[in-house]
Amino acid sequence: MTSPTTCPDDCAPGACQLCCSLQVVDELLATPGAVTGEEVDLLLDFRHLLRQRTDAEAMLRLFCELRRRLEQGHYLAFYRLRRWLENHVVAELANTAGEVVARVRLRLDFYCLEPIRRACLCGALQVASSSAASRLRFAFVPAHRATGRPLAAFRCEG
Amino acid sequence: MSTSTSTQAAKSVRKNNRLIETLNLVLADSYALMALSHLAHWNVEGDGFFELHKAFEEHYKDLFEAVDEIAERIRALDAYAIGGLNKLARTAGMDEFNSPMPQKDYVAALIVAHEKTVDDLVRARDLAGETNDLETQDLMIGRIQWHEKTLWMLKSYLKK
Repeated sequence: MTSPTTCPDDCAPGACQLCCSLQVVDELLATPGAVTGEEVDLLLDFRHLLRQRTDAEAMLRLFCELRRRLEQGHYLAFYRLRRWLENHVVAELANTAGEVVARVRLRLDFYCLEPIRRACLCGALQVASSSAASRLRFAFVPAHRATGRPLAAFRCEG
Repeated sequence: MSTSTSTQAAKSVRKNNRLIETLNLVLADSYALMALSHLAHWNVEGDGFFELHKAFEEHYKDLFEAVDEIAERIRALDAYAIGGLNKLARTAGMDEFNSPMPQKDYVAALIVAHEKTVDDLVRARDLAGETNDLETQDLMIGRIQWHEKTLWMLKSYLKK
């Protein structure tokens, strides 16, 4: 697969062997009649959040909404997006000082963000003590670490 | 093509490590895809069970024959085929899936795996063309045609 010109500079879809999320969104937007006007707006917002790579929480919330609306008609596109997100976004468990004590792989088995968060929290609490935990947040994996390989739950070093 | 021309082509290809490497990649892809198709054949469940169970069986059976053909072509080029489950899986680098999962996810996951295989087959086809190895090129073209037909069928299944 060739790298789309719309990818951020640090994104390497060839390395992760999964269709780049931006490319999937662009294909959806370019398919005539695939989405309504309102859905185009949502897809453009989602694309912006993917490109910014700063607000994983908002991006995932919007992804869930788009998935509920569009998945039945565009199953493969949403499968690609799910797999890409599961390999490029992690859930981080932070302590009261804001330090990350555990990171777990994201599993998009649900259509709403809260059950996804609960599932990630359960996974994180298996590797970190609950007394150290304060909140769970989502974060993009740095591009150089996003290899397309499934991430296991792991304790944060340092 | 005469035997001597064929031998010359084989000698030319023998020097081309890139082609051999890519053929071994195609071999690994095909083996990994065969295993994934077999897994999907065993574990798929739901409304479309019978048709998917049968389709996945056809796929892994075809791939079983294909891996033998590809490996024997590598040997015909005086190189060695890679093997062993660990090495094949590492080389293919395919995203593996776990059961249970939704019926449509099996189809989508296999589409992604077929697409990866086609990408590598195209590279092998082009490299074979550059070295004028028409026999390897023909084999790759045949495989691409089969994967593309399978992709068409799998993608059609996912449509509403």
